[in-house]
This record gives sequence, C-alpha cells and structure tokens, in this order.
Amino acid sequence: MSILAKVVQWFTDPTHWQGADGIPTRLVEHVQLSAESVALGALIALPIGIVLGHFGIFGNLAIGVSNVGRAVPSFAILVIAFQVFGLGDTPIILALTALAIPPMVTNSYVALREVDPDVKDAARGMGYRQLAQLVRVELPLAVPLIMAGIRTSAVQVVATAALAALIAGGGFGRYIIDGLAQQDYAKEFAGALLVAVLALATEVSLWGVEQLLVPRGIRLLRAPAGARVRTFKTA
Amino acid sequence: MPDGLFLDIVDPWINWSWLSTHVPTVLAAVEQHVTLTVIALLGGLAISLPLGIAAHRWTTLRLPSLTTFGIFYTIPSISLFALLIPYTGLGTITAEIPLIGYNVLILLRNILVGLDAVPSDVLDAADGMGYRPLARLVRIELPLALPAIFAGLRVATVSTIGIVTITAVIGLGGLGQLILKGLIESFHTPLVVATVLSIALALVADLGLAGAQRLAVPWSRGE
Amino acid sequence: MNRIRGSVWLVAALAALATVAAACGGTSTPTTTSKGTITVAGFNFPESSILAEVYGQALAHDGYTVNYKLLLGTREVVAPAIKSGQIDLYPGYAATELEFYNSGAGEANGDAAATTAKLNTHLSSLGLAALTPSAAVDQNAFAVTKATQAKYSLSKLSDLTPIGDQLVLGAGPECPTRPFCQPGLQSTYGIHFKAFKALDTDGPLTRAAFKNGTIQVGLVFSSDADLNQAGLVVLQDDKHLENADNVVPVVRQTVATSEVTTVLNKVSAGLTTADLVTMNGQVELLHQDADAVAAAYLQQHNFFG
Repeated sequence: MSILAKVVQWFTDPTHWQGADGIPTRLVEHVQLSAESVALGALIALPIGIVLGHFGIFGNLAIGVSNVGRAVPSFAILVIAFQVFGLGDTPIILALTALAIPPMVTNSYVALREVDPDVKDAARGMGYRQLAQLVRVELPLAVPLIMAGIRTSAVQVVATAALAALIAGGGFGRYIIDGLAQQDYAKEFAGALLVAVLALATEVSLWGVEQLLVPRGIRLLRAPAGARVRTFKTA
Repeated sequence: MPDGLFLDIVDPWINWSWLSTHVPTVLAAVEQHVTLTVIALLGGLAISLPLGIAAHRWTTLRLPSLTTFGIFYTIPSISLFALLIPYTGLGTITAEIPLIGYNVLILLRNILVGLDAVPSDVLDAADGMGYRPLARLVRIELPLALPAIFAGLRVATVSTIGIVTITAVIGLGGLGQLILKGLIESFHTPLVVATVLSIALALVADLGLAGAQRLAVPWSRGE
Repeated sequence: MNRIRGSVWLVAALAALATVAAACGGTSTPTTTSKGTITVAGFNFPESSILAEVYGQALAHDGYTVNYKLLLGTREVVAPAIKSGQIDLYPGYAATELEFYNSGAGEANGDAAATTAKLNTHLSSLGLAALTPSAAVDQNAFAVTKATQAKYSLSKLSDLTPIGDQLVLGAGPECPTRPFCQPGLQSTYGIHFKAFKALDTDGPLTRAAFKNGTIQVGLVFSSDADLNQAGLVVLQDDKHLENADNVVPVVRQTVATSEVTTVLNKVSAGLTTADLVTMNGQVELLHQDADAVAAAYLQQHNFFG
C-alpha cells in the first residue's frame, strides 16, 4: 500500500480520534501550548515595542532584537529549558515565549515609528495628550503591522511547538517524533500534515483578524520595512 | 559512585576542560553546519534569481510563485523533514529541500522588491541610451536591486543557520548534533557551546554580509 | 564604475561561498592505503555509542577507514538504514534484534547462540548477518523509584499486575510496539497500565519523569550505571519476559569479510556485562566521551597490540 493510502487509512481510523493520543486531544495540547506562549509573549513584547516606538528610543535595539532572535536555534532553547526547568509544560511555554517575543517587539516598534508624523502633529494640535494620542490615534494606525508581528510569532510558535515532542511535550509533534521512532510512516506523515495545516490555519486566520482590524479607509502601503520584519523563521 | 550526588552540582554549564579537549569535535560540527547553510543559500539563489527576474518581467508569474513558496515557507521544517524521509531518506537532500525552499521565498520577495524599486526614469534613460533588455537587466536593474538582494541574503543566512540545528533529528544537524548529544547525555556543555556558536555564526555571517553589501553598494545605506 | 564594482563584489562573495562549500564538503583524504570504508551506526543512547566506537576503533586499528553515525535513532531507523546500505554495521542485542526482524513472532529465548542462529535465518535474505554474540548482556529492565517500591512493597514485575491501572509507564516512543516492552508486560504479566508516556530510551527525560512523578514505572537498561544514584530500583523479571539480549554486531554481508568478522568476533569475545556497566558509568556519570572510553577499553584489553 502506498504511503498516501496508509495515511488516509490512518486518518479514517476511529481510534485515532479518541483518547490521550487522539487527534482532538493532541490538537488541544498544541493550540494550548502555542496560544499561551504567544499571549504571554505579547504581554511582554507589545508594551515594550509600543513604548519604544512611540518615544522613538532604542530603535537599533528594537530592530536588532529580531536579528538576534532569528539567530537563536529554537531546538537549543527547548533543550536548555528542559535542563533548567525539568519536564512538563512550563519549560516548553517558557522556551516558546522567548521565541515569540522578538518579532512582536520589532514589529510594534516599527509600526509606531511609521505612523505619519503629520497625523501625530495634527493630533497634538487638536489637543490630544500623550496617552490619548497613543491610544486613540497611533495605535489604530499601527494595528496592522502589530498584528503582522503577532501573526509571524504565532506561526513560528506553532512550528516550534512541534519540536517540543523531543522533550516529551504533547501536541501534533508527538505523532512526528513517535512515528519516526516507531518507523510508522503513516503516523509520521499524518503528524507532519497536521502541524503544517495548523500552521497554515494560524497564518490565514490571523491574517483575517488583521484585515478586520485595519481601520476603514486606511490602505496599508507595502513599505519595504513590512516585508523585512515579517520574514522571521526559526523552525 | 557516592550516593545522592546530584548531577547538576557536578555538571557546570560550561566544562572548560571538556571543551579544550573536544575542539576537533566542535569544529567538525561547525564545518557541517556551514556546509549545509552554504548549500541552502546557493540553492536558494540559484532558484530565486532566475525566478525573480522572470516574475518581474512577466507579471503573471508573480502571484503563483510568491503564493507557492509562501505556503511552503509557512510549513514547519520538522513537518517537511518528516514528509520527505520516506522518499529521500535520512540525508543531505532531505535536509536541503526545505532549507532551499525557505530561502527561495525570502530571496524572491526581496529580489522583486529590489527590481520594482528601480526608478522608471532610470529605465527610460537606459532605453534612451540604447540598452537592449538583457543588457539593461544585467548592467542597470540588478545592480540597483543589490541592496534589497543583500538584505534578503542576510535574513536567509541567519534563518538557515538556526534551522540547520533541527536537521539533527534526521542524523545531520551540524551544531545540532552537539545539542542532541547534550540532551541525550544530560550534559550541559555541548548544548551551551552549540547554542553560543550557532548564534555567533549567524551574527558573524550577518555582519560579514552587511560589510560585503557596504562594499558592493556604497551609495546606499544598508538596511 | 560603481555599479560594475558592485556586481563584481556580489560575484566574489558568491564565489567565496562556493569555495567554502567545496572545501568543507570534501572528506579528508586517507594518507595510507585503507582496506576499505565501513560506516558504523549506533542507537540513540550512550551505550550504543560506546559499543559502536569499540567495534569501529578495532576495525580502524586493523586498517579500515571507519565513519560513524552515532545517536542515529531507534532500531526502527537503524534497520532500514543498514538494509539500504547507508550504514554497514551496528551493535545489536540478539533477542531484541530477532523479535524485530521476525515481526514479533516470539522466537527468542534465553540461549544466546540459538537466538542468534534464528536471527541469522531472518537476516540472510536481507543481505545481513549477525556475528558471534558476546557474553555481555543488556536487557530491558523496568524500574520504580525507591518510594514507589516501599509504597507497594514491590520486588518483582508480577507484583505490578494487581496495581497496574494505578501506574503510568514511561519509555521511548517505540515501547508500545515492541514485544519486550509494553505489549510483553501485558501478555506475559497481565499488567495494564493507566497510561503510557512517550519519553526517551532510558535517557534524561525518563529520569526527569521519575523525579517529578509523571511516571511510576519506567524502562531502563540492565547495564545502566546510574540507577542507584537516580534512586531507582529494578524489578525482577520473574516470568522471564526479557531474553538473551547479548551484544551482537549486525553487519552487511558484503562487508563481513573473514578479516572483518575475525576482528569483530575478537572484540565480542572479550566483552562482559561488567565492562558495559563500567563504560556506561564513565560516560553517564563522569561525562567522558564514548570514543575515549572505547579507546581506553581497547587499550586495556590489548587490542591495540
């Protein structure tokens, strides 16, 4: 039987849809690990990037953090997290959060920097004070690029969460690693497909959210900076 | 062995004596790492340059190329390795296909941005001076697109160096082999050394390319 | 002109890259005439690296060029590799090899020679051969923490049968499909575990899972050196689930010349279980390198003349 036929058979086997090793359970594990890491990362990264971008300070650091972040091997961070924190979800989430932070910092910094200075002038002229200006004028304009950063982070986290299976993590990566160990190509293939589909679904759905959040009447100009900060792949 | 002697106390994060006696091992890992990276970059350029030039010239090619490689880019490397293993085995080909594919997207995007950014009056002037299309491409457009191409090369290099460590799962890995060794043998030093060297390698490559860019295109501010 | 100089620099950078690739891609040229190249692989646990190095270095001393692919993976990864010729030799364990190549038919027993002979009947059609088994044995063993042992008064595996559904078993991901692992515990001892946790093959993940209580029963190897230090106790295999897992080199027939076979058999003849435990201790506890430990062993046993 060809591999693809075996994979179809694997997916249509009802036992693979129940239990601790079933697709729904693994999906929840994977999404939970990824979502918690991106959320935690956003909680840390967005305020930093927004504040730095608003005041226009430490720009080289904010952009450089993405360069360094891109250079950090995700596999190594997971193993270090295991050796420091032991087994379980905590080290995985910590490692994934660390990987999620750089693109969000850089993107939110650039997003705030690229707000048209004329708009900021007009706001100041209209009497907006700092915080109000930030929240009601700059942020809505910056949202698209910030969302692009969150989207980049999320896709990378979903990809790296698949590696977490190497330190006994759950999620779809389990199928890939277990399939490799058992030389069960159908399982390995199925796991690879599931991770790929989840990554694509994350990209598409967050792109959808990004479109919804763009204020009506704003057309985002595709500046070279946009393309630059969005190419961030560590896994 | 004394009872209750916990490994963590005995195992410092960097055991310098291990390091000093294992320089050849580490260098071999670096060598494999660099080889895998260079193959991925050259492969990426070999595909993205002609493809980018073609997509710039014939705009119908643009969206399909970007979309295809864009989808490929979103697929995690471990997925691609796992999907390829039954067909291409555990080896360099399995490792390089995803790495090259990712680089094609990064470079393609930047080549298109670079070629698009050539001012139209420059093109007009060239045409006016009698340049034929091929000569115009090679002697005017590509050189002006160099900053963008270099920027893409830098991103691709740093990205590739990081992802190469994951190929340890299929028996390669370069510095990833040391990471795997650190995991399986519960040993901090190779893990820390590999991480630091991987980051250092990426930063050195990035700086090197930035320097090369400054020499190549002195009239433009490096991105 | 600037733009021409720019292009020249780009071409120069690429040429430099290509040169680096070519230089790095080349393997070191052997200065003396070699009797041939042999690729030795090991499983993804340290003892296998040690054995691969021991056999490999003996061959290298005899004049062969030896390449190593250590920590390659589980048997499920190594076996296809040797079948397809990507590797030439790996240090196997007789009974487990037999049950792998006969798809779990249950032919292995406690007799190493008989088991190996049976193994060869399955290997010959694959172009492989198992040589003479060593006296050194490393079997699967199941351990619990000292605390668990005290809590349930455990001394042998049969003691687990009534309480299996309260315990979680931890081992490498290949365990649920291996006859000497979870299925064997179920069929020979009637133990049905509450859950199975996929970790690693007797590695740090398993040790960590014991420590934080994620698992109560875990797979270890009978030749492990760090069990006492890790606070683990092996339960006695009273119903003899595990069989003659003697170390035996599995080699491709085309590589198994009489000279190669002689060298490998000589190494196997001198290897004992105590040697395995000692060498494991040096690697697992003292973090010495597998190749250094193997070299010291061969030196000590006068393999280097």
